[in-house]
Amino acid sequence: MIHFKYYIVVLLSMFFLSKLDAQDISGRTIMQQVKDRPDGNTRYSEMTMKLINKRGRERVRKVKSYSMDIGVDKKTIMFFDYPGDVKGTGFLTWDYDQIGKDDDKWLYLPAMKKTRRISGASAKKDYFMGTDFTYDDMGSRNVDEDEHKLLREETIDGHNCWVVESTSKDSRDIYSKKISWIRKDCLVAVKVEYYDKLDKLHRKLILSEINKINGFWMAQKLHMENVQTMHQTTLLIEHPKFNIDLAENSLTVAKLEKGTI
Amino acid sequence: MSIHIINQWFERRAKAMIRFRWLIIFLFAVVVSTSMLGLKSLRVESSWDGYFLEDDPMLIKTDEFKEIFGNDNFVAVLTECDNSFSKENLELIRELSNELLDSISYAEKITSLTDIEFMTGTSDGMQIEQIVPDVIPSDRASLNAIKDKAFSKPNIAKRLISTDGKLTWIILKLRTFPEDTVWRKKSALSPEYITGLETDRIVGKAKYSALNPRATGMPYITYKKQVYFGKEAGRVMSLAFILAIFVLIFATKSLRGVTVPLITSISSIVIIYGLLGHIGYPIDSGMMSIPILLSFAIAIAYNIHLFSFFRKEMIQHGKRTKAVIAAVKEMGWPLLFSALTTMTALLTFLVIPMKPLRFAGIATASCVLFTFLIVILLMPALLSFGRDKKPKKKITERGGRWIDLQMEKLGNWVLGRPRSILMISEVIAIFLLVGISKVQPAFDIEKTMGRKIEYVDNLLDVCETSLGSIYSYDLLIEFPENGLAKHPKNLKKLDKLTQYVETFELTKRTSSVLDIVKDLNQTLNENNQSYYGVPDNANQIAQMLLLYENAGGTESEYWIDYDYKRLRLMIEMSTFNSGEAEKELKDLEAKARELYPKAHITTVGSIPQFTSMMQYVVRGQIQSFFIALAIIAILLMIVFGSVRIGFIGLIPNIAPALAVGGTMGWLDIPLDMMTATIIPMILGLAVDDTIHFINHGHLEFNRQRNYRRAILRSFRTVGVALVLSTLVISANFIVYSTSSALQFVNLGILAIIGIVSALFADLFITPLLFRKLRIFGEEINYQPSKKQQK
Repeated sequence: MIHFKYYIVVLLSMFFLSKLDAQDISGRTIMQQVKDRPDGNTRYSEMTMKLINKRGRERVRKVKSYSMDIGVDKKTIMFFDYPGDVKGTGFLTWDYDQIGKDDDKWLYLPAMKKTRRISGASAKKDYFMGTDFTYDDMGSRNVDEDEHKLLREETIDGHNCWVVESTSKDSRDIYSKKISWIRKDCLVAVKVEYYDKLDKLHRKLILSEINKINGFWMAQKLHMENVQTMHQTTLLIEHPKFNIDLAENSLTVAKLEKGTI
Repeated sequence: MSIHIINQWFERRAKAMIRFRWLIIFLFAVVVSTSMLGLKSLRVESSWDGYFLEDDPMLIKTDEFKEIFGNDNFVAVLTECDNSFSKENLELIRELSNELLDSISYAEKITSLTDIEFMTGTSDGMQIEQIVPDVIPSDRASLNAIKDKAFSKPNIAKRLISTDGKLTWIILKLRTFPEDTVWRKKSALSPEYITGLETDRIVGKAKYSALNPRATGMPYITYKKQVYFGKEAGRVMSLAFILAIFVLIFATKSLRGVTVPLITSISSIVIIYGLLGHIGYPIDSGMMSIPILLSFAIAIAYNIHLFSFFRKEMIQHGKRTKAVIAAVKEMGWPLLFSALTTMTALLTFLVIPMKPLRFAGIATASCVLFTFLIVILLMPALLSFGRDKKPKKKITERGGRWIDLQMEKLGNWVLGRPRSILMISEVIAIFLLVGISKVQPAFDIEKTMGRKIEYVDNLLDVCETSLGSIYSYDLLIEFPENGLAKHPKNLKKLDKLTQYVETFELTKRTSSVLDIVKDLNQTLNENNQSYYGVPDNANQIAQMLLLYENAGGTESEYWIDYDYKRLRLMIEMSTFNSGEAEKELKDLEAKARELYPKAHITTVGSIPQFTSMMQYVVRGQIQSFFIALAIIAILLMIVFGSVRIGFIGLIPNIAPALAVGGTMGWLDIPLDMMTATIIPMILGLAVDDTIHFINHGHLEFNRQRNYRRAILRSFRTVGVALVLSTLVISANFIVYSTSSALQFVNLGILAIIGIVSALFADLFITPLLFRKLRIFGEEINYQPSKKQQK
């Protein structure tokens, strides 16, 4: 009898909990969970950026990237390996989570032996390195820069996903809203659609090769297409490493000029 | 071929036509109403690109260019106010820039005082910012700081703002327009037209009136041109229509004489345009009126010839059916032959590889065909209805109406003064020949359209300000390998080339990737002005461009291609002068080839397009004139069975060509798309008069075997019809001189000069040539009976 009661309690609680899960989880919570998904405190990867214009011409760039979380902020340093004429060029960003605070960026040009700090109010909304990704897409946008709404649940390639609509609060943003398909099992987005101010589809991001590496979920291939300009970018992330040994003072202008960590 | 046999054939057809007149009227109604349905799908085009045939090298070059660098079309708006650097005006400029970017369907990127990639160098870095901050201050000091910043980079300032701060330039780059087949599925309006329309709507808003915004750019010009021609062609043609009614009333004094030519011309136009609509053949807005004009002129001329003969017969015997049959019998052949020669002359436009002229050739030739068919089938059918009349004996006894006798007197006068007439003709011919040598082709808006048109005047005003420009062209340098375009050696050569092109008289401004590279170099070197140049190190350029991209710069894509294989140099012009432009274009290409011997050099844009058009039109005009002349000569030879008559028949037909060409030269009327059509058109019209005169002269000579009498008789019989048709056609064309469009005014003047000179040649020269060269054979000295003389 006790057993029976026990089962009923367990079944009922499971039923209510599952209801709660589907109904009460908000879009914001999901997005916050995505942002908070563990990805180590430090990380390293080699990234190949393939830029394709509408004529099908390609520009390929390869970088080595190191990054580190410092509280809610993030520091990243990248060194260009390819093509040859930009080899050694380094790029350092300090990405602040605080809304309204502009990121700090430095670029080191070995041909001029000069580091240049890049600042500008609109930099955050700009495209990153001529790709179709904005700094926002690459970095960690504060969840409260958008209003989130859970639209529905959908199954994509056998994975259950939340479909979340995020509407930007800032009229200067490059998109007015984005719709993300987020895998419930690993909190990684598999598809994102970005809409322009006229509510027309502007860019479409497809994430694939989603793997668990050293216990951390990540997508290793990101393909962004600007459906309006027909420009595309593919980012391939190779040899990712997490929680690597990186001192806080490794991500500085001095290291940038040195060309290595 | 004996004229007698042909006339008999026409006589038999005339009898059949009267028998089946109801069927003819019914079929005519069916054809016209079916064609009317096609008018709905008629496509009108106004773009420059639409001028070229699909396989034209110029178009292929332009398409290739667009594929690499995007749309070469842009929309630009010039704002003008007392001080652009006031809070209110800056806010308005920003609002206007945003609205252009947000509301124009094909907008891609805006550049304006409030929206520009502005890099500033500091001691430790660089800043990419806007000249005007998000929140525009209202205090004088902050506004002055904005002004100082705008002028701190002279190379940017000279493109955006006038030195006195009164004018600013908002430039909207456009996305590549979709292919014809794509946009046609969704809309009847072309992307160019839509862009122009949207621009016009925005700049016309009352809230921007303080900025006095004036738009320019090819899509806007195209839109304005189409709107203007739509209205103006309608106005002019209705006026021509009303005038034609009056002149026809005066000339024919008969209800049928007025209505039939009008029915003929309107229905032939409906049939042709309906047919073009059905098959989806596009027509150019500027050329649309040419077939309408011509079918008007031809319908009137053909009907007058037929009607005059009919009336003459009615006066003589009063029997309607007999008169109709006689008119078709005698006029059928000259009308058919005139139609054939006119069509031939018009079809020679097909040798010119330009769409509007090919359209004009096909449409006008078809108009002539349908006009002829309607005149020869419908007119007799309609004239056959009604009662017989009493013959007018008095007129018959006098040998014709008063006016016919006056014509005979004129013939007498001409035959009495052969030497002086030929001498004066020679002097006039020489004078006109000198004029022809002065004719200049031109395609620019000022010479072809004229400043009387409001939008043209506005455009030219914009062009003449320190910032504005209408015409531009691009030099494209294509290297054999990827990456060479950003090499310092090649960029330095581009700098040299730019300096060279800036010495040209017509150059107003140049743009290329150098503006970005030099600006970057200066910015990265603490804003030191001495670094405004191309660096020597190739890696430095590559890294600078990476930095530029990284900083969100996208402008460079317009000037250097994705593979770093092609460089583009855009030259905006201060004014347009076709001869000078052609020379400068050639010089620039030569200099570029000298600097880059291994690269492929091409020029694209509106100016090279104009230049190609000019070459096509000039070459085509000459070719089409000589081909028309040759074919007409051959036709005359075949029809009159004599090589001599063929050549002699040509002489009076050269007169209108001389007159039109000479007038163009002396009055500085340029050879453009519209005027290029006049000479073959007039040749086609003028040959009608000659045919009627020769045909009649031939008939009379066969009857009388005496030149003097045959000529006088021809003067009496066809003289009035020739004068009347010239009068009506001239009245029709004179309306065009009331237009504000120079193109129309020139067309009116030249057509009248051509038509009148053709009449003069036929009345004064043809008879003298007849007699002097004895073209129909030797005379036989016999006296015709009195009846024959009448």
